[in-house]
Amino acid sequence: MPQYFSVFKDESKLDVNYIPPSLPHRGAQLSLLDQFFRFAAESPGKMTQRVMITGNIGTGKTVLSQHFGFNIAREARERGINLNYVHVNCRECKGSLFMILQRTILKFYPHFPRRGYSAEELLQGLMQILDEQNAYLILALDELEALIRVEGSDPLYNLTRVQEERPKAPQRLSLICILRQPECLDALDPSARSTLQRNIIRLEEYSKLQLQDILNDRVNLAFGHGTIFAPTVDLIAELASSEGGDARYAIELLWRAGKYADASEVREVSPECVRKAAVSVYPVVRKDMISSLGLHEKLFLLGVARRFRQAGTAYMSMGEAEDAYAVVCEEYGEKKRGHTQLWKYVKDLSMSGIIEAKASGAGHRGKTTLISLPRVPASDLEEELSKALM
Amino acid sequence: MSVEEVFSSKGRVKILKILADIGELNISEIARRAGLNYATTNQHLQVLENHGLIRHKKFGRIRIFRFEEENPKAQMIKKLIEAWEQANKPEST
Repeated sequence: MPQYFSVFKDESKLDVNYIPPSLPHRGAQLSLLDQFFRFAAESPGKMTQRVMITGNIGTGKTVLSQHFGFNIAREARERGINLNYVHVNCRECKGSLFMILQRTILKFYPHFPRRGYSAEELLQGLMQILDEQNAYLILALDELEALIRVEGSDPLYNLTRVQEERPKAPQRLSLICILRQPECLDALDPSARSTLQRNIIRLEEYSKLQLQDILNDRVNLAFGHGTIFAPTVDLIAELASSEGGDARYAIELLWRAGKYADASEVREVSPECVRKAAVSVYPVVRKDMISSLGLHEKLFLLGVARRFRQAGTAYMSMGEAEDAYAVVCEEYGEKKRGHTQLWKYVKDLSMSGIIEAKASGAGHRGKTTLISLPRVPASDLEEELSKALM
Repeated sequence: MSVEEVFSSKGRVKILKILADIGELNISEIARRAGLNYATTNQHLQVLENHGLIRHKKFGRIRIFRFEEENPKAQMIKKLIEAWEQANKPEST
């Protein structure tokens, strides 16, 4: 049997969900989080904390929170304190407080009924479970924008005020809110806002040198000895820093470059592999981004990408996009979704930055939503989606 | 409750089997897994609970049932079911 050589020694260390043992250049923020939550590992129940982490894409918000959360929970357990860290992505929960609470409760009660109850009942249930198990919870709400956009101020208000209804009981629920733009908090009503805006940790974009350190760490973890050298890592850091210091992009570039090296059966990841990888990774369309889309969102986007590739125009109307989607549905044997649902997809996709949507203004008969694809070549998007739909 | 009363009802045995397998569950889910309707399941659960074999915990309107750990009879029934199921499993090669 032929022996296949791979430049990777452990590819999983480049996965987006991997939490590395150390976080280069985030030490200060980590110790700040530690100070905010010191009480939780020492004298829990006396108070709760709310911390907000903000920063652009790929600045390490999620990994910072997870790294901190799992460590403090472990430390507390060693001291005999039942402190739990639960990380929930609001966008994956479609911005629904019900789904967020359900995922949280399932960590404590894996067979808790999945439907038939309101979010308020679930919140009360969660507090009761925490009381019964004498447990404390740090709940991290990632991509909080989604929750605010869908449900407004009420969920955050309820989450922050649930302790106030039980003044004598131990304080059990702390929050870490993770979001890109703190401005989206302006949409909250003043009472909900004031409870959140006290402890803010702002993560700046990584510089080229910082990205190099991060990449070197991952290279040591994921690649075999002598398969990738400094100039190649520098090139990746350079490319990622020009994309706004996005570490996630840098790591995906590193992974793809390794894949190209394996595909071309060479024993070293050369700068040429990086250049090939850079052409195929667009900062807004990454595989984690595409895999987080629902089936019909993918189908809709595929329709849009195909239509743009064939038509060569800059904009298409909502009607044209729907027609293209209908064709794709037929191809994949799926029943197509209605207009309102598609319109929601367009809103979600434009929030995540893959497409842009604007209302048609003067010069158009009637009123429609105009969709454009400013950041990615349609053919590449089509290819990625077709792979994801296989 | 005599032993034949517990084991003479297929529904009750099914419910005990589900609880032994899963640990704790709400009524609708027990009913779905046992293939019984809600009212029947509720009745069986009440009988079993009245005799101290199972107990429930309430979260607002949500009731979650499990075996009563403190009742030796309940624990023996649970062990019997587990041993029975284990013996029924095909031997791994």
